[in-house]
Amino acid sequence: MKLAAALVAALAFAALPFLTSSNYILGIGVSALIFTVAAAALNLIYGYTGLLSFAQLGFWGIGGYASALTVVTFGGTFWMGVLYAALINAAVALVVGYPTLRTNRHAFVIVTLTFALLVTLIARDWVELTRGPMGIPNLPAPSAFGHRFANTSDFYWIAWAFSVAMLALLYALCSSRIGRTLIAIKQNEPLVRAQGISPMPYKLASFAISAAITGAAGGVFVFHLGIVDPLILDFYYMQTFLIIVIIGGAGSFWGVVASGVALSALPEVLRFSPDFRMVIYGVILVAAMFVMPSGIAGWLRERQVARLREALQ
Amino acid sequence: MTVTGTYLLQLTLNGITLGLLYALIAVGLSLIFGVMEIINFAHGEFLMLGAFAMAFALPVMGLLYWPALGISIVAIMLFGLVVYELLLSRLRPDEFERSILVTLGLSIIVIHLVQYFFTANPRLVDTQFGFEGVEIGAIRITWTRVVAAGVAVAAFAGLYVVLRHTQFGRAMRAIAQNREAALMIGIRPRTVARNAVVLAAGLCGLAGAAISPIQLVTPYMGQFLIFKAFALVIIGGLGNIPGAIVAAVALGLIESWIGGFFTIAWQEAAAFVIMILVLFVRPEGLFKRGGMRVG
Repeated sequence: MKLAAALVAALAFAALPFLTSSNYILGIGVSALIFTVAAAALNLIYGYTGLLSFAQLGFWGIGGYASALTVVTFGGTFWMGVLYAALINAAVALVVGYPTLRTNRHAFVIVTLTFALLVTLIARDWVELTRGPMGIPNLPAPSAFGHRFANTSDFYWIAWAFSVAMLALLYALCSSRIGRTLIAIKQNEPLVRAQGISPMPYKLASFAISAAITGAAGGVFVFHLGIVDPLILDFYYMQTFLIIVIIGGAGSFWGVVASGVALSALPEVLRFSPDFRMVIYGVILVAAMFVMPSGIAGWLRERQVARLREALQ
Repeated sequence: MTVTGTYLLQLTLNGITLGLLYALIAVGLSLIFGVMEIINFAHGEFLMLGAFAMAFALPVMGLLYWPALGISIVAIMLFGLVVYELLLSRLRPDEFERSILVTLGLSIIVIHLVQYFFTANPRLVDTQFGFEGVEIGAIRITWTRVVAAGVAVAAFAGLYVVLRHTQFGRAMRAIAQNREAALMIGIRPRTVARNAVVLAAGLCGLAGAAISPIQLVTPYMGQFLIFKAFALVIIGGLGNIPGAIVAAVALGLIESWIGGFFTIAWQEAAAFVIMILVLFVRPEGLFKRGGMRVG
């Protein structure tokens, strides 16, 4: 049922370039698809495993730089760039994740945040590699089988294929035994240990997979922008991913996907001034934490449970 | 570059000043974590508001340093009180992730409101001391740095006395050590938590006001400092106040030395690299935590 609905939604998204030729709307579509993937990856580590990771922003940025540098500096293709973005991020996540996950969840949050800020500083200050604040402009359009995906409607196909593939991968993972183990770790880690499951490999794997997917998403996104500069590490992206996950409902796969698509349009609606938009984001975040801490999916589930209880009486 | 003793000493003195200011921020974070078990992501914005308060109070006060400092501290303490009553008091101690997201939202709101009203242009804050300094031999330190270091040391001394010898401070330590036992002997966690937040905000306002004549004042200054303060709190052990102070002064020194010989990127990376190394060796932080320790 849910899968059928998802399939219909995916096909509906595929039809978008036939319905409109407006580059503006297609551009929002590309952002929506890629942001949803990044948010779903955050949902894997935060919603399922229960580890609030701010490192996603760093992975997103590293992915962007990795794919851009592969193409511009090292002369590879876009596809190799995205692949490298995923692999580099998985490796970085293992290195950062291993010492950090040994500590408690408090330390994990803080270390991942400092990691994200560190990546920002490196992007700005390691001028020989990243070209500093100037960034790398004029990223070439990707091409495959002799076809160049030069305009937005062509690029939309790449974003669509990428996001469908990644969401399918994440769904397979989350609905498998591994996904259930992750939820168990979030809910009661001592009990998981008592069942003879070592939580560390699961946590580390979910961190690395989430990093790889976020990095690949960042790698695709910079080619949509056509430029990579330290602004790719703007905290705005992290906030967007977080708000998508929280409003959608952390730990609910379809809730996050739905809110990803819906909320990616929100920044476009709220185009007063960039500062004012961020203030509204902040207010939404604070309000959601008090009014709806488990998101729309959680709220629906609570209502369902309440109705069941009533029916029982 | 020829390395002279004077140059090293100059770097060391700058490092100590920097470290003491980091320590003010880190101590506030530790204090709030010790009492409420939440991490205040808006802490850097307390500092930034302190710097802005100083920037606005100084011209009104005819550039007099001390009254402006006092005004800034009181203003940030009031802000801390409002934040506690509106937001933090609604959080329970076990809601760690929620506390982070709420204070993160607050931090976004504050940064962008300040940027909206006062623009992102960096401000240079002038005080009665101007850019004069003390000269000891070939070494020169500006007065603003000397005063900032002195004020920070005085604040730590004051904090030590408060936590160690007053009822107010004892209640805070009691809650940090054992919440249930503290409740049983009639300590009200809410009042204590409010005091801790106001005290931490005051320290942060002090740090912001003291730092404003040394650094450029921008809406984003808090974010870069808080990132280091977080690293310090981890290195020192969460909730451990002397640990945070030692780690902060050490980091200030290390950064200053690195900054004297390498590029700025290494200086910024130092805090993170040290933190990861510490976590490898001692996941609980360098100074093991046992309740809130003051000495």
